Amino acid sequence: MNDVAHAPALEIEAQEAAEKAKILLVDDEPKSLFALQELLSTLEQNLMVAQSGEEALRLALKNDFAVILLDVRMPGIDGFETARLIRSRDRSKSTPIIFLTAAADEMTSMFRGYEVGAVDYLMKPVIPEVLKSKVAVFVELFRKSERLRESEDKLRRLAAHLISIREEERAHIAREIHDELGQVLTGLKMEVTWLAKRLKDKPLIEKTDSMCGLIDSTVQTVRKIATGLRPEMLDDMGLVAAVGWQAKEFQKRTGIRCRTKLPAETKFDIDVSTTMFRIFQEILTNVARHSRATRVDIELAVSAAEVSLEVVDNGVGIQDNELHAKKSLGLLGMQERALLFGGDVRINGSPGHGTRVSVTIPLRKAK
Amino acid sequence: MKVLIADDHPVVRQGLRQMLAVESDLTVVGEARNGQEVVELSRRVPWEVAVLDYNMPGKNGLELIKELRQRYPGRAVLVLSMYPEDRYAVRALKAGAAGYLTKESAPEELVSAIRKVAGGGRYVTPTLGEKLALELEDNRGKPLHETLSDREYQVMWMIASGKTVRQIADELFLSPNTVSTHRTRILRKMNMKSNAELMHYAIAHHLVD
Repeated sequence: MNDVAHAPALEIEAQEAAEKAKILLVDDEPKSLFALQELLSTLEQNLMVAQSGEEALRLALKNDFAVILLDVRMPGIDGFETARLIRSRDRSKSTPIIFLTAAADEMTSMFRGYEVGAVDYLMKPVIPEVLKSKVAVFVELFRKSERLRESEDKLRRLAAHLISIREEERAHIAREIHDELGQVLTGLKMEVTWLAKRLKDKPLIEKTDSMCGLIDSTVQTVRKIATGLRPEMLDDMGLVAAVGWQAKEFQKRTGIRCRTKLPAETKFDIDVSTTMFRIFQEILTNVARHSRATRVDIELAVSAAEVSLEVVDNGVGIQDNELHAKKSLGLLGMQERALLFGGDVRINGSPGHGTRVSVTIPLRKAK
Repeated sequence: MKVLIADDHPVVRQGLRQMLAVESDLTVVGEARNGQEVVELSRRVPWEVAVLDYNMPGKNGLELIKELRQRYPGRAVLVLSMYPEDRYAVRALKAGAAGYLTKESAPEELVSAIRKVAGGGRYVTPTLGEKLALELEDNRGKPLHETLSDREYQVMWMIASGKTVRQIADELFLSPNTVSTHRTRILRKMNMKSNAELMHYAIAHHLVD
């Protein structure tokens, strides 16, 4: 049902990508600026101009430039200082900068230029063809990375969509199985019991007894399947109770001792709870599969601002190469799930000293 | 005794009705399909015991129990639930329910539970009673299995799950000798003589399935 809502957003983004790339030209002399504009106009991109370092900084705050052409010698903040400031900001920390300098400038200033993050250097007067082709390269690079970012974004949204669909489906199936099938079985058992009470024949009573036994074990199976799909406690009692229950179940199933430190039960956003719970399950799966641990310490903390979970085992410790292995989709899945809610997952392991997984997810303000 | 039945599933209501009809001292005076109907019916019908499904559409089970207890302190609420006792019973009792039964319970158990709570008593199943008793005991002193080291606990769990020394050694990458040493120490710490005793203990304390 989310498909419809998502489709238009994707189209808008595609349109934006087709727009022109922004190029910033900075020079204190209007004549030079004009000449640069003339020169680059054939590239048919969006040219913006600034006549001082301050103006350039202001523009760099609001725009993402494919490349910045920066005159070194300007009154006030000079080109180097401007470049340093532009590079120190998150948004523009990797924006390519080409310095323009008069031929008289020494090699020393050239090195200064590279230190503050210049990617290239051109002597004035510039040779038109050289400048044009250099700028064109950066425009192309900019476009490619934009496209990459977009497709990454799309994939992430698609993954998010799939995760939420799967969660919804699981919840739905679990409810159906548990409620419908479970209740019918309950009714069936009552009928059989009613029948049993009217029987005098011992072999027949034995039959109804065994039928009751079968119904009971089926009810238990149904419950197990439903809880496996989605623990009803998560919806009924919230994350704290669900984590406590899951830890106990894990200890019972694996013999790996779990110590839990849980806060008082509180209920908060069900999607954040579900995310945290699924990540927790994934962590436990990894502990059981790879860690060879004999003990797991689990600490859950909930504050007004965030939920955090820390799981530490005493096993063999995850290795760096395992952390970054391409096939560690489980780990990637955890990261992605957390990222959807602006959270993050950190995993540290040291050989022989176990693995520590820390998950933090911020809580949105109450609606 | 006047009994109210509340369950959103017709099959279950029918089963309950049939089951209670056989008992001469019990009369079903009303049936409800959800929390709202329970509340409305309660104003008109003076039931003595309500047999409630924990998970009906609308109002949350615990809230419904609390509300009924507040409005009609003299009437008893018995919860009949699909959910396992160990996770829900204590909460239901704390909210004011007089008893908690799962739907797997034998019909005789339900009938005797109704009679007991109608007289103002509380009904706790033997399993839950045992669990509560164990918790009390655990609070007084450390339970025996808590004296084991993490590794010993794991070995104990494996023995209790029916694994042989050989299997345990293979799974844990230990020598059979080491496993045997662990076993000896476990038995000594827990003051036991055999694997069978260990299994019995583990099952009673819900350490294994």
